[in-house]
Amino acid sequence: MTEPLLAVRDLQKYYFEQDSFVDSLLGRDPTSVKAVDGISFEVERGETLGLVGESGCGKSTTGETLLRLREATGGAVTFDGANVFEMDDDELKAFRRDAQIVFQDPFSSLDPRMTVGDIVAEPLKIHGIPESADGESKREWRRDKVADLLERVGLSANHLDRYPHEFSGGQRQRIGIARALALEPDFIVLDEPVSALDVSVQAQVLNLLDDLQSEFGLTYLFIAHDLSVVRHICDRVAVMYLGNVVELGPTDELFESPKHPYTKALLESVPRPSTAEHGRRVEALSGDVPSPRNPPSGCRFRTRCPQVIPPDDLDIEQGTYRSVMDLRDALAVGDVNPDHIWDAADPDRADTEAFIEEARARHVDAELRGEVAGVVDTALGHLAEGEADRAGETLRERFESPCETRRPAVGEAPHPAACHLYEGSDEVTVIETNAGAAAEADD
Amino acid sequence: MADTILSVRDLSTRFFTEEGQVNAVESVSFDVEDGEIFGIVGESGSGKSVTALSVIDLIESPGRVTQGEIWYRNADLAEEFRGSKPEAVDGDLVDIRRLPKGVRRSLRGPSFSMVFQDPMSSFNPSITVGEQIAEAVEVQRRARSNPRSTRSRTQGYGLGSLLVDSLLPSKSYVDDESMDRAVELLDQVGIPDPEDRAEEYPHQFSGGMLQRAMIAQALAGEPDILIADEPTTALDVTIQAQILNLLRDLQEQEGMSILMITHDLGVIARMCDRVGVMYAGEVVERGPLADIFDNPVHPYTQGLLGSIPDVDDPSGRLEPISGNVPSLLDSEMPDACYFADRCPKAMTDCLTRIPEYELDGRHSVRCVLAEQEYDPADAVDSADAADAVDREVNADD
Repeated sequence: MTEPLLAVRDLQKYYFEQDSFVDSLLGRDPTSVKAVDGISFEVERGETLGLVGESGCGKSTTGETLLRLREATGGAVTFDGANVFEMDDDELKAFRRDAQIVFQDPFSSLDPRMTVGDIVAEPLKIHGIPESADGESKREWRRDKVADLLERVGLSANHLDRYPHEFSGGQRQRIGIARALALEPDFIVLDEPVSALDVSVQAQVLNLLDDLQSEFGLTYLFIAHDLSVVRHICDRVAVMYLGNVVELGPTDELFESPKHPYTKALLESVPRPSTAEHGRRVEALSGDVPSPRNPPSGCRFRTRCPQVIPPDDLDIEQGTYRSVMDLRDALAVGDVNPDHIWDAADPDRADTEAFIEEARARHVDAELRGEVAGVVDTALGHLAEGEADRAGETLRERFESPCETRRPAVGEAPHPAACHLYEGSDEVTVIETNAGAAAEADD
Repeated sequence: MADTILSVRDLSTRFFTEEGQVNAVESVSFDVEDGEIFGIVGESGSGKSVTALSVIDLIESPGRVTQGEIWYRNADLAEEFRGSKPEAVDGDLVDIRRLPKGVRRSLRGPSFSMVFQDPMSSFNPSITVGEQIAEAVEVQRRARSNPRSTRSRTQGYGLGSLLVDSLLPSKSYVDDESMDRAVELLDQVGIPDPEDRAEEYPHQFSGGMLQRAMIAQALAGEPDILIADEPTTALDVTIQAQILNLLRDLQEQEGMSILMITHDLGVIARMCDRVGVMYAGEVVERGPLADIFDNPVHPYTQGLLGSIPDVDDPSGRLEPISGNVPSLLDSEMPDACYFADRCPKAMTDCLTRIPEYELDGRHSVRCVLAEQEYDPADAVDSADAADAVDREVNADD
């Protein structure tokens, strides 16, 4: 197998809050937002790798960090054999000729005071191209080159002297693509290139990207949230969730037999434009994506996962276990307020039985039986006495999942999934974290 | 067949801007039946949101609804105006455009209410979510106890209310009963721990939670028709699935009708019973879901369906519609089918204005192909059509 064009290893990008000089004087510790937290993938020459995920999962940060538009916190990116993060200025400038980016918003990524000709010619100017032009001035050479590029992306050469506001969204995105092509790069990061466009125009741009790839032998990193677009254009796909890659595989395989519960839920949620879709009820994932300021310990997806793994020695139905885990999460984030439960159950705050019953009605979706009911009731008893921490601890002791103590990452298999369900195969590697740290993170 | 709760006929809305007259909505007609979800789908600038705002009478200057009738079934109103405004009453239906302004305003809440696209900018950031919902409840309660109170033109304005506002703290507007109802509504839309969340401000909510809160607010008046304008466009797909489930549940529980506006054909397919496809301010095709998706007649509808990549079947190249969405400036709009310059099947007949053809009782389309087969001999090249349009425009100058 040939060497990949781009290899990303354990890339991390943290943003820090409270780390100004004043904060350090006041003795505040900086808090980190883990936008990208240790991801690895490779992009082969000539392929399109899709990076897909919901907003806030770190996909755009990944694209910008690997081009060194943002400084990475850790990890390494190798492009064509050279480590991007260790390049000096000259090497970096050379790297920028080979790797370009197209941004999402065609309205804010073009300078409104430059003509289209100047916008597309700017990269050429910066990189001193052409070094020499025979028979004509460099300016004329660039003008011809830009006219050529504009025609290549489906605009006309007499658009050269117009300004961006004279173009529609789709046409502006074409200008952005022409600018990225100007330096004849090998690799382009396409950061949501069609998500600001209407469907009819989106299809035109997708077809254009397809054509350009086969004409110039380009390699794409295609960042998107729209799964149907990803399916259409990508050869392989990496699914991201909260700063991690959870599944990586060839597009058809990943869409037809997804492995990670998150990928399954994502695919299940997409509304299909066909009559068979009518009235289809999706088992929606519960809750919201947690904050990257304080991500869940272990598997990042465990707070919403419908297949979260119960402890070995516990006999419990999956649905029941999910609702117990939801109760634990709600306790951890302070979504359970004993005062309101008391108000509804017994304003005199005497009848603990009534409190437990009311709390179960409000916060536990499933029927509880046997040992599970016993432990939950004990915990809710603690809650009734105002000891929320002890309630959480009681539940943790009995219901702690392997998903929260150890963190999974994608393994070496061709189609790996970072999920404990696949433990024991080469699809997942487990990063051990100790249980104590996990409990601390929960607080 | 279910009864019609809302029947929009020949509705046009214009914006009189400095650049000229914009024909945002052009002779739009559609019906919404009891307990159904009617979808309006179109690209940006096709006039779908303006249509919704026209129905709920929220078009602001420089815009104006210039013609059309909006028939709404309400026996009480029909009874009330049968004597004084016979032209506005037809059986149980009233034409709300002909009712007095105060009455039209009183319909917002108990008759129509609206869920907007961007929950983050639709709430007041300096008032708690609970209070904003309770305010909606309060308005409806006062309206019910004294229907005339919300019909007064000066309500909420003027010297009297200025004095009242400055003397009484603004909180007193919302009493405990309304606040309790707000908490109930938050609970109904699936917000955990509603008592505490009601005390929080919009920025403390996630996008999905805030969209739920906005739905709760829209439910406060127990509306007959909920207008949902791109309710899930700002949300991620897993959260979108939650909100769509919620809307369907509420629609079944409350028995209301929903007018669903979206650009996403997938959302239309999952939710809607009947659909209208809008292009350049017109409803170009309208009918039951199956007719529109499996048997589209208008080339624009076909083009729209052909432009979407299929998540289950990646094979094949997309077949986009060429060209761009047209300008809606009156001076630039041709006396021809608005789609002719992009249409792969444009014929000479398309260079005149096209009426709406009924295919069968339920499916109608604004295209000559409804009546005749495509005849390549009669074709005008789309470029020619564009030229014809240009000539037309220049002739107008």
